[in-house]
Amino acid sequence: MTHDDGGTAALTTIVMLPLLLVVLVGVLELGALRAVAQRAGAAADLATIVAVGDQDQFELAQSGKLRLAADAADVARDYFARNLLATTPALGASANAIAAAADIASFPTAPSFDPLTGARYDRPTLRLIASIPVRTPGFAALLMPAVTTVTIQSVSSPR
Amino acid sequence: MKTRTALSLSAVLLLSTVPAYAREPLEDELPPIPAPPVPDPVAFVVPAGLYYVTDTYVADVVATSDATTVYSTTTVHESTGTYARVIDTVDTGASSAFDGMAFNGRGALTNGQALAGTYYENFVLTAGGYVPVSIVFFQDDSETKRLQGLSSSAVAPKATASPAPAVTTAQRRDQVAPPPSIERKVPIEPARPTMRAGISLAPDGPTLASAEVLRGRLVQFWPRVFANDVAVPIRSWRLVSAQPDRISAASGSTQPLAAQWIRMPAPGVRWSLRFEIFSEVAPTERLEAEISVTMRSPALVD
Repeated sequence: MTHDDGGTAALTTIVMLPLLLVVLVGVLELGALRAVAQRAGAAADLATIVAVGDQDQFELAQSGKLRLAADAADVARDYFARNLLATTPALGASANAIAAAADIASFPTAPSFDPLTGARYDRPTLRLIASIPVRTPGFAALLMPAVTTVTIQSVSSPR
Repeated sequence: MKTRTALSLSAVLLLSTVPAYAREPLEDELPPIPAPPVPDPVAFVVPAGLYYVTDTYVADVVATSDATTVYSTTTVHESTGTYARVIDTVDTGASSAFDGMAFNGRGALTNGQALAGTYYENFVLTAGGYVPVSIVFFQDDSETKRLQGLSSSAVAPKATASPAPAVTTAQRRDQVAPPPSIERKVPIEPARPTMRAGISLAPDGPTLASAEVLRGRLVQFWPRVFANDVAVPIRSWRLVSAQPDRISAASGSTQPLAAQWIRMPAPGVRWSLRFEIFSEVAPTERLEAEISVTMRSPALVD
């Protein structure tokens, strides 16, 4: 290596280092965001499954058919908030606030049609759509939004 | 040297072992199936004057001997497990609040006057108490034609409604002599009720041919028997088909079958529960009831 080549390498390093750091921070933050989104999605899945397990016993005795309980949406909202508690440090809002703002729809009888998603359900179904604000300090360091909102959806029915 | 090394390695491996605590997750976590509720027998209300029927209505009888026509009722000494009580005793021509309500009707003399007799209300005993099922009229009257100078339609009715029986519904027949000629009417209702069995998911719920059941959920199946579409008490039941994973009992009487399925069947497969049932009304009559069970489990939808 000559004296001139060494100067070129140093200059290249000085120029590229910030770019490498930006890429590294971005990748790490994106991975963290994805992990939080997965945990929130799992919280929603578990909440809807628990709510679907709560069936209307009177209707079952009368017709022999499964039908969602009248409070299925409330049960799902309650369990969604409980399940989100473990992820609270990474969230941009409280678990209760996120669960309260979630769009939870109960379709107690089948077949039914979801006007929001356009889906057709052949069994009693519970659908949850929530916007999850996730803290992204890495993005903030890169002059991007400090909170990134992720939308999750979960649909459950007895099958 | 090799032996020492092997012993040392074995000692290290044994000391570093950790119990796996492996177990069947569903083997001992399931709570015992609670005993289903038993109907409170104290809640029964016994109608006044009720007695157990030992003689059952068969037909209305009209017997003519010379100038006298006797209107009576024949019975058979048989118990169908029902109960009855006197609700009205009427004289010839007198009206009753129960006219038109008896399944066998109330006849009339040749001059159009309604017959004397007694109205009985029949009951069956159910889990909820005594349920009225029908009203029957036991006619007990006679008329004598005036032979001299009168047409055949002129009659002198004899209104003699005797007092109500205390024990059976066939004690009034001995008031008239055996007639020489008898015209029998066809009985309107058979003496033995039509029996039907079914399975419901509630003590007073409708019988169902099929039901959807959540996996792991405890479900109570109530064997039920109906006499003329009126629920009657169960004497005993027995599960004769393939059994669920967990059941409270394979046979019983007043208590339902509490069942629980742990395993899911193959897609499209339905399980069936078939019961053998005996009722209190017809203890010797074997009835069968079946319900098809479809297993469901909460799952995510794509």
